[in-house]
Amino acid sequence: MIFNIFKKELKDTLRDKRTIMMMIVIPVLIFPVIMNLFVSVSHSFQKEAATKAIKIGVVGTKNDFFSTKLEQLPSFLGKKEILYYSDSSHLAKDLQKDSIQIGLLQQGSTEISKEIFNQLNVNVLYNATELGMKERAEEYIEYIEREEKSKRLDLLQIDEQKITPIKSTYTNIASSKEMIGKLAGGILPYIFIAFGFIGCMYPAIDLFTGEKERGTLETLLTTPVSRLKILIGKMGVVVLSGLLASLSALAGLYLSIEVFQLVEDPELLTVIHSILSPTFILVLFSLSLPLTIFFAGVMIPIAIYAKSFKEAQSIITPLNIVMVLPAMVGFFPGIELNTTTACIPVVNVVLATKDLIAGTVSPGLLILSFGVMLLLAGIAVLISYKRFDNETNVV
Amino acid sequence: MIEIVDLRKEFTLSKQQKKELNTSENIAIAVDGISFKCEPGKVFSLLGPNGAGKTTTLRILSTIFKPTSGSVTIAGIDAVKYPEEARKKIGFLTGSTGLYARLTPNELIEYFASLYGISKKETAQRKEKLYELLDMNDFQNKRIGKLSTGMKQKVSICRTMIHDPEVIIFDEPTSGLDVITAENIITLISDCKKEGKTVIFSSHIMSEVDLLCDDLAIVHKGKLLFNNTMEAFKNEMQTENLTSEFIRIVKENNINEFSI
Repeated sequence: MIFNIFKKELKDTLRDKRTIMMMIVIPVLIFPVIMNLFVSVSHSFQKEAATKAIKIGVVGTKNDFFSTKLEQLPSFLGKKEILYYSDSSHLAKDLQKDSIQIGLLQQGSTEISKEIFNQLNVNVLYNATELGMKERAEEYIEYIEREEKSKRLDLLQIDEQKITPIKSTYTNIASSKEMIGKLAGGILPYIFIAFGFIGCMYPAIDLFTGEKERGTLETLLTTPVSRLKILIGKMGVVVLSGLLASLSALAGLYLSIEVFQLVEDPELLTVIHSILSPTFILVLFSLSLPLTIFFAGVMIPIAIYAKSFKEAQSIITPLNIVMVLPAMVGFFPGIELNTTTACIPVVNVVLATKDLIAGTVSPGLLILSFGVMLLLAGIAVLISYKRFDNETNVV
Repeated sequence: MIEIVDLRKEFTLSKQQKKELNTSENIAIAVDGISFKCEPGKVFSLLGPNGAGKTTTLRILSTIFKPTSGSVTIAGIDAVKYPEEARKKIGFLTGSTGLYARLTPNELIEYFASLYGISKKETAQRKEKLYELLDMNDFQNKRIGKLSTGMKQKVSICRTMIHDPEVIIFDEPTSGLDVITAENIITLISDCKKEGKTVIFSSHIMSEVDLLCDDLAIVHKGKLLFNNTMEAFKNEMQTENLTSEFIRIVKENNINEFSI
């Protein structure tokens, strides 16, 4: 009987264009669109960076020591155009107007004497809203400084090693997979959870509030089927819709990588392939199942209580933020899955997924997260049943 | 057969409901000690002004609501104790009954037949008979959302009758329908009576009541004001017509808020 209800509700739901949009079309398109946008923007930035010359304003003349060195900088450090100013106020104005991107003010002597080993003071003016300009200036100055320092050491006949007591090298022991998992791994479960919620939303409202509003629920309740069976049949469709939306998002990711080939870096591609293994997807869905039941169990009592589609929508839509917001913790690298976070719904799924991607998941914590979600899903079903069994809510 | 004895239904009022109803009472009594009997092969009419408790009574009969106290027997089954068993015997149709617009009549009828546990073979036989009777063959595979009100009403009737119920409950079945569409319902009630089924229906339209019913009950504010045969009602009439008599009975019981 539950299956008959499930089958009918699924058929009804799949014929609803709104649900199809939220359940399949948008989730499938989201990854290709975002990734395409990201790749296009990043390509255009790279292209712009490669072709666009930044303008550097220098107070002084072309023959100054620093100006000469600046002019001689190798081209691999980026294209540049140097403009000379007689005073700093004009330079500052042009910097404000973005006519130049970096301003260099030489203070004190503009010459460096090899004999007295004097020091040149350079004040770098930049606009912090123009990203990367400070770094570019630092790169130029460091290059010039390194060259001059080397010359001075030669003149002084000093071995650089002797005045450098510690030579440090840094070795990253994290694998690329772990890096991606810990740093960017939060995005995948976030999108997965967000679509899981959105996927549940329309069917939950349509199958409960919608039926009440259209006067079909009363008829259904006069059939010799228990309310629990009706609830489970309907809830099954709500949960399936949420899972389908998540699966569609995953399909979109697959299309982006394998069909549209939006990931060009071969190393990154290898890592992504190793992450998206069948085991990972299976565990991800195992975690998503109780989470989606939990989502459905939160939405259904509201949908049962609401008198109209609009009322249900106006309560559930803001709930989306409350439910999906905890999923954002995945974006912060410092938060780890532990016994406390494993007990927080949504957060536990995100952190467990992140660890799964990174390959550092603890089986104990994974089981605890799953158990907590299962328990909450059970409570949510029970609350839904209590609501559905309340005669004043259903007609 | 339907038999209800000393039926009472109370609803707990929420703060908002108390405010809306302008009352300080914590409960509202929708049905207050009603008893009546509907016999097979007869049409029983439940009359009453708006808010009299007719719909609540019919919802208790159809087991959507549980009574606060009292007993309900449907075709020999205690409907309070065994609601699912009782529902197998009931066909329920209201004027506000909705249908699944995205399904076809065929899909809808088969779905409800499956909920009543009817075999596919029997469903096919009953469907064929009802489609013929209601002239539904031409639109059986069209989406319900695209059907006219009359066609939808036929689908509703077919849905109500697919499991061949012994007891049929109609709650203002012709409400909001035009005369032609309402005719389908009138015919259905007459046919059910001929077939020996137990029929109870609530209505505001006295011409329908006059045409169809054998026994009637008048309720208002949850209380039973009259319960007898139509013949007795007519014999005891102190006014010129049924509508006036209905108004008189209600008014005599010192109740002013009504409309028919």
